[in-house]
Amino acid sequence: MIINGVTIDETFAEAFPMKGTRLIITALNAKWAMISAQAFTGFATSVIACGCEAGIERELDPSETPDGRPGVSVLIFAMGGKGLAKQVETRAGQCILTSPTSALFSGLDNSEKEIALGQNLRYFGDGFQISKMIDGKRYWRIPVMDGEFLTQEKTGVHDSVGGGNFLVLAESQAQALAACEAAIEEMRKIPNVIMPFPGGVVRSGSKVGSKFKALNASTNDAFCPTLKGQTKSDLSPEVESVMEIVIDGLTKEDIDKAMRVGIQAVCDLGAENGIRRISAGNYGGKLGPYHFHLQEIMA
Amino acid sequence: MSALTFTLKTSPAQRVDCSPLTADKLADKTAAEIAAITLVVGNQKVRTDEIFDIQGEDVANIHFAKATDKLDHIGHAMATGKITVDGDAGAYLGQFMAAGDIVINGNTGVYTACEMKGGTIKINGNAGDFLGGARIGYKNGMTGGTVIVTGNTGARTGDHMRRGYIFIEGNAGDYCGSRMVSGTIAVLGKVGKHFGYAMKRGTLLLTSAPEQGISANFNDCGSHTLAFLPLMFASFKKFDTKFAEIEPFSRVQRYAGDVSGIGMGEILIKI
Repeated sequence: MIINGVTIDETFAEAFPMKGTRLIITALNAKWAMISAQAFTGFATSVIACGCEAGIERELDPSETPDGRPGVSVLIFAMGGKGLAKQVETRAGQCILTSPTSALFSGLDNSEKEIALGQNLRYFGDGFQISKMIDGKRYWRIPVMDGEFLTQEKTGVHDSVGGGNFLVLAESQAQALAACEAAIEEMRKIPNVIMPFPGGVVRSGSKVGSKFKALNASTNDAFCPTLKGQTKSDLSPEVESVMEIVIDGLTKEDIDKAMRVGIQAVCDLGAENGIRRISAGNYGGKLGPYHFHLQEIMA
Repeated sequence: MSALTFTLKTSPAQRVDCSPLTADKLADKTAAEIAAITLVVGNQKVRTDEIFDIQGEDVANIHFAKATDKLDHIGHAMATGKITVDGDAGAYLGQFMAAGDIVINGNTGVYTACEMKGGTIKINGNAGDFLGGARIGYKNGMTGGTVIVTGNTGARTGDHMRRGYIFIEGNAGDYCGSRMVSGTIAVLGKVGKHFGYAMKRGTLLLTSAPEQGISANFNDCGSHTLAFLPLMFASFKKFDTKFAEIEPFSRVQRYAGDVSGIGMGEILIKI
């Protein structure tokens, strides 16, 4: 398959099951809601070493938030429910509770499975915390130095998908980066997904395993342009730079949509902008049960 | 189907225990079986059809017509359906109620919503003493649900209340929120003496400062903008009450008490 001079490889991206939740962070103004959300989703690019993958889904208008203030919705994913609960609790405690004027709500209500949100953070109130049941949901009012930190007690957990991806193969770093930026801009319009790496783009895609026993992932040498003559390379001579976009989503269908608009945005730039191929992180079935076939997605 | 209607034949001289007449207990019963249900009247047991004219068949929609304050235990432990009372109701209306709706177009007696667990009671009139309270000797009053009173309430409203909401559009009697464990009581009118007496936790929300001032057992915590109030006001919108119509506010003067006890309750007054 070739779109606008860009070859779409006959391959698939491998993804794996994760547990995810959506949180809504509000603040006195949009600036501080974003600061809090950025802190919460920091150092959350890959479960390999961060314990979770998290990102900002979108900004929320005051009319869309529970307390009528400006907000940001974030998605956070981990390999299991317990891991997710731990990450949510520590990050909320250190990054949202601490952030001026913030409040924290579940963005996934009425789920069958739930994890603690403010349930344990309340103890920060040292006995002065106040519980309020509003519309059947429990909230905690925790006294803090700037007033009260309001947080919902629990948030829902969704069976999610992590690690959807595609690779952009270009003639130069600058062209690969420009294409990825165009893709990310379009993909951020799709709900229920995040691209957890810095700016949504990862330049150090990994393969499963390593020659070093301590590591379970290592550089994807087949796509490293400087190793064309040293390893079993998957790159043609004219490809000088490869970048990857990783997508986590609440459902496989959400990732399908995000990949479609992202790949399309890259292909719109086309061969004339140095884009040669679109490929994917295919690990021969070692990584996970979800397979995103590039040509099917773009059909 | 038309509402199952119980119309009082004459005003009873003795108190009538109406607890068997709820949707849960009347489900799958024939008209004859309903008519034959025995009610405790004073120290007698009397057939339902000796006290009431019975019409209609929809047990999920029960109607008491020409009701008087002798009819006790209406909606006792009901878990489904709707009860409408035209006239006054006696004591213990909605006691142990778990779900459903009760509407009273009249006044209610003592211990309305006593130990209520869920559902909604709307009183288009006044409520007696111990609204939403606990039985004598018991430690937990209302543990859920919503009570709306368009008129005034008697003394000890929300005594031992543990959870849920009481909306009072008129005035609250003396000792409002006494011994309250948690939950919220909101008052649009005036409050009587000693409100919040021995309050442990919970919220008394007032839209105007009491004329008599605040008890010495409550300490002024200053004026604040509280983020939970807009959420709470938004949740009021679904109820048929003036509280659904008032302009939401989050700026309040906060008083904490009763400091003669654990002092974790609060009185919030709109500023």
